[in-house]
Amino acid sequence: MIEAKRISKFFSVINKDGVAEGMTACLSVSLSIEAGKIITLLGPSGCGKSTFLEILAGLQAPTEGEVYIDGVRVLEPLPSTRSEIEEYRKKYRFLSPLANDLFRDRPKHDIAMIFQDYAVFPWMTALQNITFTLKLRGLPRGERDAQAGYYLNKVGLGSFANKYPSQLSGGMRQRLALARALSVEPKVILMDEPFAAVDLLTRERLQEDLLKLWESSGVTIVMVTHDVSEATYLSDEVIIFSPSPGTIRNRFTINVPRPRRRDDPELAEIQQRIGKLLKYDLDNETEYTI
Amino acid sequence: MIHDQPNYGLKGFSRLTSESGLFLRNSFGSLFSREFLKVLIPLLVLWELLPRLEAVPRTLVPTLTDVAAAFWDLVANKKFLVHIAYSVGKFLAGLSIAIICAIPIGILMGWNMAIRKHSLPLFQLLSPIPPPAWVPLTIILFGIGLPMQIFLIFLGAFYPILFNTYQAIKDTDPRYLSSARVFGASELTLIFRVYIWHALGAIIMSVKTGVAISLVMLVIAEMYGGRSGIGYLLVEAKDFFQIPAMVVCMLVLGVIGWFSIEILKFAEFKLAIWKVGA
Repeated sequence: MIEAKRISKFFSVINKDGVAEGMTACLSVSLSIEAGKIITLLGPSGCGKSTFLEILAGLQAPTEGEVYIDGVRVLEPLPSTRSEIEEYRKKYRFLSPLANDLFRDRPKHDIAMIFQDYAVFPWMTALQNITFTLKLRGLPRGERDAQAGYYLNKVGLGSFANKYPSQLSGGMRQRLALARALSVEPKVILMDEPFAAVDLLTRERLQEDLLKLWESSGVTIVMVTHDVSEATYLSDEVIIFSPSPGTIRNRFTINVPRPRRRDDPELAEIQQRIGKLLKYDLDNETEYTI
Repeated sequence: MIHDQPNYGLKGFSRLTSESGLFLRNSFGSLFSREFLKVLIPLLVLWELLPRLEAVPRTLVPTLTDVAAAFWDLVANKKFLVHIAYSVGKFLAGLSIAIICAIPIGILMGWNMAIRKHSLPLFQLLSPIPPPAWVPLTIILFGIGLPMQIFLIFLGAFYPILFNTYQAIKDTDPRYLSSARVFGASELTLIFRVYIWHALGAIIMSVKTGVAISLVMLVIAEMYGGRSGIGYLLVEAKDFFQIPAMVVCMLVLGVIGWFSIEILKFAEFKLAIWKVGA
């Protein structure tokens, strides 16, 4: 169970005239996600959905609002008064503020994350990538290899255990990232446009694999994507973000039972509705900028 | 057990020979490629013939055979080898001190904002001073001797290694950091398992730069102070107007530089094997 309460994130960006400009990535986004579901956050690029995902993961601190995973707060609140700011700076002089209790107690939260461009470590072999994460989660040395091998086999990379990521294809790399995320047996997997960098055929196969793995593990998946058909095909609920400022525009619950067919008329109808909505948003935005 | 022992030794030996064969082929193979020999041999012949035919004054430009003879004389005189050993020793000492100091400082500066803000300006202030400009002050501080020479060599390598390491660590792809953090990596783990590996190529590159500059500083240091080393021999040869010996010294320095760069290239190839995908 993930609960995000009124998340806002503001950036200040220095433009080329040297003037700081405020930018709103998310504005007052509230969301609660049930365990065991697949949720997609859908929207045009630059609408703050990736930022929102990183806030859920605790990789960025929200300017306002809080995130709870199973009732535990993900990041401590940012300081607001001067004395609080000083204390905060002193506390995190030699640490990233992100390396706080949350990350020390990570097994409690049990989040795993998959990034668009894989982010598997290129200096480790496939097996080492997984054993390293298992080590980070504190699995005893003797069990790491077996568990890593098990998950590599599960995603069909059993015979590539000693290959480096540079020797794997894009789809295999993403599969390795998936195995790495699953190997720590998390409750929640956050995915940031996981299949955006692979070709269509590979993407469809990876989606099938993901569904299979999801069904066997019962993990909650929160996925960011800008592919409408991917969103409708995979998820139980599609949440549409609209840009500037990033807010939740709309949400669609998809009750089509699994296994789904890609050409299911019900899905097609939902896709059309989502497409219209996104197009409307984009049209309005262009009118606004012109 | 008894059977395993020599077998293992043989394996180790064959591995050693194959590795060193690979190293030599990678490093110096280009010298003996068919293409380059077509250039090298005419050059050597010209070098031999031009002074002999008095196209250039032979007193000023020694022929290849003169240089070879000078080399042979120097090698026969055991002192020459001792001088080379001194030079290499000083060079290695200065370079390794520089590596030992610069890489950790660079890593700390790249990793942490607070450390960077406290220390970077100091290095930025000092680094633009050309290392040879330190010579007079160093001679006064350390006297003429080993510490002064090693300090100058250290100085040549320190700043390039420091700044490149710092930059490479700072530019570590945040995605790798994020993905390690999400799995619960501590800052120390991040440094040892992510930052360093990500920066490894750039660090070795910076050591190469450091080698080049500290070799310059080696010669300068030995020319200015000291009674040993190739630089000293070079100055001595100049004083006695032994041009062939000077050429030999120059070539030896070149070989030292080339050899150390090739060793680093080999290390890079072995360590960063995941990059070339072998």
